[in-house]
Formats: sequence, C-alpha cells, structure tokens
Amino acid sequence: MSWVTWRLYRAQAVIAAALLAAFAVLIVVTGVQVASQWHSALAACTTAHSCGSLPNTLFLGSHAVGFLVIMTLGVPAVLGILLGAPLLAHEFETGTNLYAWMQSVTRRRWLLVKIGWLVLAAAAIGGIVSALVTWWSGPNNALQGNAFNPGRFDIMGIVPAGYAVFAVALGIAAGALLRRTLPAIAVTLAGFIAARVVVFFWLRAHFMTAVTSYFPVGGGAPTGVGWQLAAGYVGANGQPIGIPLSTNGAVLGNGSGVGLPVTSLPASCGQLAGNGQMTPAIYHAVVSCAQAHGIRGYVTYQPASRYWAFQGIETGIFVLLAAALLAVTFAVVSRRDA
Amino acid sequence: MTWVVWRQYRMAGAIALALLAALAAVIIVDGVQIAARWHSVLVTCAGSSACLEQQPTLVNGVVSDLPYLCLIVPAVLGMLWGAPLVAHELEARTSDFAWTQSVTRTRWLTAEAGWLLLAAAVCGGAVAALTTWWSGPINAMTGGAFAPGQFDTQGIVPIGYAVFAMALGIAAGTVFRRTLPAIAVVLGGFIGMRLVISNFLRPHYLPAVTTYYHLTSSFTPPGQAWVFAQGAVSSTGTTVAAGWGDLYPALQPACQRLLPSVAGQGKSDSLSAVFSCMQAHGWRGFATYQPAYRYWPFQGIETGIYVLLAAALVAATFVIIRRRDA
Repeated sequence: MSWVTWRLYRAQAVIAAALLAAFAVLIVVTGVQVASQWHSALAACTTAHSCGSLPNTLFLGSHAVGFLVIMTLGVPAVLGILLGAPLLAHEFETGTNLYAWMQSVTRRRWLLVKIGWLVLAAAAIGGIVSALVTWWSGPNNALQGNAFNPGRFDIMGIVPAGYAVFAVALGIAAGALLRRTLPAIAVTLAGFIAARVVVFFWLRAHFMTAVTSYFPVGGGAPTGVGWQLAAGYVGANGQPIGIPLSTNGAVLGNGSGVGLPVTSLPASCGQLAGNGQMTPAIYHAVVSCAQAHGIRGYVTYQPASRYWAFQGIETGIFVLLAAALLAVTFAVVSRRDA
Repeated sequence: MTWVVWRQYRMAGAIALALLAALAAVIIVDGVQIAARWHSVLVTCAGSSACLEQQPTLVNGVVSDLPYLCLIVPAVLGMLWGAPLVAHELEARTSDFAWTQSVTRTRWLTAEAGWLLLAAAVCGGAVAALTTWWSGPINAMTGGAFAPGQFDTQGIVPIGYAVFAMALGIAAGTVFRRTLPAIAVVLGGFIGMRLVISNFLRPHYLPAVTTYYHLTSSFTPPGQAWVFAQGAVSSTGTTVAAGWGDLYPALQPACQRLLPSVAGQGKSDSLSAVFSCMQAHGWRGFATYQPAYRYWPFQGIETGIYVLLAAALVAATFVIIRRRDA
C-alpha cells in the first residue's frame, strides 16, 4: 500500500518539494541579509546610544519577503484543499475506490496507509515552512519582542504543523462525508478558517489564567510581558478609571501602551496641569498627585515564559480535533456499502 | 443557455448570496459602531491635530480583520467556480452531452463564462463596496487608503481581481482538463500575479513625486498620499530615512556632537539643533510619494491591467475550446 500511495502522489510530492526548496532558498538568502542588517544596526545604535528607539526606527528585511512570510498562514489551508479534500472524494467521484476495495487489501488498511502518509506529509511540510519562518523571524522577534502576539504566534514554532494536520484531516473527513471534491474543498476552507478564528479569538487568551501586574503612574510597565491582553488604570479602591477614546489634553506616561489623560484624573490633580505647556516640573507634580490618590496602572498579560506552553496547548487542540475527524472518517468509510 | 447556466449554478448562487448577506450584516453592524466612535473622536479633537495623532482605536475584535480576509474572495471564486467550469465537464464527460446539442460550443462557452465572469464582478464589487464603506472612518483618521493592503481591499480593484481569478480558473481548467490541477494553478497564479503587480508594478504606474523642503520645517504630503520614502538627503546624495535610525554615521562630526545621547525624549525638541546644523551643511529634507489625487487613476490602471489579463485568458480559452476534438 505504501508503494501505491507513492505512485498516486509522486507528482504532487515532486511539486511540493520543488516549491519548498524555492521557498527555502528565498528565506535562507534573505534571512542571512536580515541577520547581518540586525547586527550592524545593533552595533551602530550601541555607538550612538540610541538602541532604545531601535524598534521604532529599524525595519528589517523587505516588504515583499515579509508579506510572503505572513502569507504562510495560508499553507495549512492549501494542504487541506489540495491534499486532504480529494483524498477520498475524488476516489468516490471517479469510482476508483471500487477497484481499490476489491483487492486483497482491506478497506481499513487502504485507508490507514493513505491517510497516514498524507497526514505525515502535511505535518512535515507545515513543520519545515514553520522552521524556516521561525529562523527568518529571529532578529525581528528580538527587535520587537512580539513573537507571542496574534499573527506572529500563528506562523512560528510548532503550531503550523498542528494546523496543517488539522486542515488535511478536515479535508479527508469532508470528502468522506460529502463524497464530492468541490463541496469538500469549500467546507475545508470555511471550516479551517472558522476553527482558527474561534481558537484564536475566544480560546487562546484563556489557555492559562492571565497575570495582572500593577505599576505606579508614570513608571514603566513590568518586563516579560509576552502577550498583553489589557491595560489601563485603577483608582485607590480598585475601580477602573474611564479613559476616553481620544483626549485634547496632556497624557501621563504610557509604559503599557495606554496613556492616562489628565482629564481622567481627580479635579485636584487636573488643576495642577493647567492649560499651558507641560514642563517636567508640572509633569512630576501631576504624577505625584495621581500616585497620592492611589491611582495605579495595570497590565493583564500572558508572560513570555508561557510561549512554549501555549504553543503546545494550541498544537494539542488542533491535533486532537484532527484525530476526532479521522476517527469519523474511519467509521464512515468502514460502514459504507461499496 | 442562460436557463441551463441558472440550473447548474442555482445552489452555488444561493450559497454565495447567503454568505454575502451574512458578511454585509456583520460589516454594517460593526461599521455603524466605528462611525459613531469616529464622530465622538472628531468632537473631542475639534481644532487639535495632536489629539488625532494619538490614533485612537476605532476598531476592535474579530471584525477588524474581516476586510483583509476578503482579499481571498477572488481566489475562492476562481477556485470553486472558475476552475471546474470546463475541467469538471471534461472530467465527468458531460461535455460530450453539452457539445452535441443544437447549441454551438462557442455559444455554450459564451453563456457559461459570461454569466460566471459577471457573477464574479458582482461578488467582488459587493464585497469591495462593504469594505470601502467600513474603512471610511479609518481612512479619514490614518490617511492610509492609498497604502498597500488598504488599496487592495477598497474601491474598484477587487472587481478586477475577481474577474481575473475567475478567468484564470476557466483558462487553467481548459488547458489542464482536470479540476484539481486547475485549482492549484488558480491559487498559485492569483497569489503570484497579485504579489508581482502590487510589489513591483504598482509603485511605477506614474512617476513618483519627490518634494524637497527645509529640514527645520516639517512636511507631510497632503491628503491620503502613498509615501515611499521620507528623510534627509545630503549635498553629496547620501540619504537617511525618517526615523533617523542611521543618522549618526552619516552626519558631519560637527552635527554628530549635537545628537542627544539618550534617545526617546521629545524628538522634535532634541533634534531641532541637529536639523539646523544639517541644513547648514547642505542637507535637505525629501519625501518621495504618490500624491493623493492619483488614488483613482491608480485604481483604474490596476483594475484595467487585471481586466485585460482576464480578457486574454478568456480569449485563449475560446481558441482552445473551439479547436479541441470533442
């Protein structure tokens, strides 16, 4: 059966290998450039004592390659559409399953070997693409410290392999149930996007209980914030301070990315700011007043140290979903009349 | 023939209509909220540009990524409708039946391809109209309608993309005679063409404008321009990008000494002395950009390119179908 699977998929395997090789060449060539750009920028900013502003001023790599790297988000869906959905649906459509099932190989073994090799191939392709992207993004992660952020988390580490396995399993299951390739492709595309959106927007932030840290107004936010979920300010008794969408006045420190408008402070502190220019002396007076009123900043976040735990949990979810879909496929195919 | 096309695609049409209606509902509900937030920001910020520069967050949650997800709509249309149009008829041998009726092959293809291309244009246009309206407040605040990404989801270009993807699917299906390879070609060809044109051709539809200005004054290209580069250029032609990350090694020693040793403090204050010094040493500020008034010409040029590509692909399809043995 392994030999049959190879004969069925050798053309696809050659094309996939060629595309992977082209992608690898592009990523390695540009990745070396990005790394050297990063090291020379680090050296230059150390000389000029301006490394603090480096994240705002340095753009690593080119827009075109950067865009291509983001587009690897779509690789699992493509695998599900082109490898997963036709795996059974195309056999049913053309009736070739009838021939296959009348050989000496049992239906279960036929299914097991085909699915096994295809899922393995999907995991390998997803893993290789992810390894290339992870390596390429190394300097950028060091520069921006945002590997945990939505969008970046999704293209690096081990999760892309989990997505790829899930997408292929979804395509196989959709093909087994719908018995036609095109509807299976449509279901795979929609189902993959839906599963990713649900896990990403509603589940990922709650894999582990988020940490909330408080810091003094005007001070810096805590370090080690991997993925910031919320930020703001609370008063002495813990009630949140309302921050308007926009403000026409001065704003106090924004270590967490959220500034505290003077207009949101108690009136006694707001008066200190006046309407004129914010000199350092006035700024410190206002900050001290806010601190005296017990106002603190807070950040709710998932610490950077949980990065690999989150990668493992998310990969586990998608691999479990894939296992469930494959179990359904086995049940459907073994019970179907030939 | 129109009736045949309707019978073949009524299910697909109903599904597409339902999805479009769902998208419209989500976009409109969210868009009304964004517009309300934008109006409250405008009231607060009346007469203060510094207020707007803080870029208040208008969008939130799931819906903010929806317009970008709409970038794949043309590819989906081309994959699910375009690629099987001819390929699936050949695969299922239904072409034998269709081509032996009283309807000529040319008329068969004209009706099938014509209605599908029209449907693609309507779908692309409807999605584009929704995202364009949704993006209105964001465009007004960030001035970014011309920037790559936003330009691609708004205006009339999505119609051109959809027509092209559909034509690519039809042509690929005709050439390969099998659905799956045609789907793969649509996916690869559409993404490849979009990458090449938006990265390498679009910046050069019209020659970019470069404006020079005194470093001690500031300059922002008016309106929603597409800025390629902004920074300073020396009398010998050395350029330093805005952001000033590479400023130090490029400067004359006299100016180097004026650079603040700790970065991150009020940039305009601490750098004004450096700018005066640079101005005295022959540096000028420059901005290279596509002006805002070229937005619609660029939309027209890009749409035209894709429609022409689509026309060429459809013409090739006609030639192949007419010459093929049944």
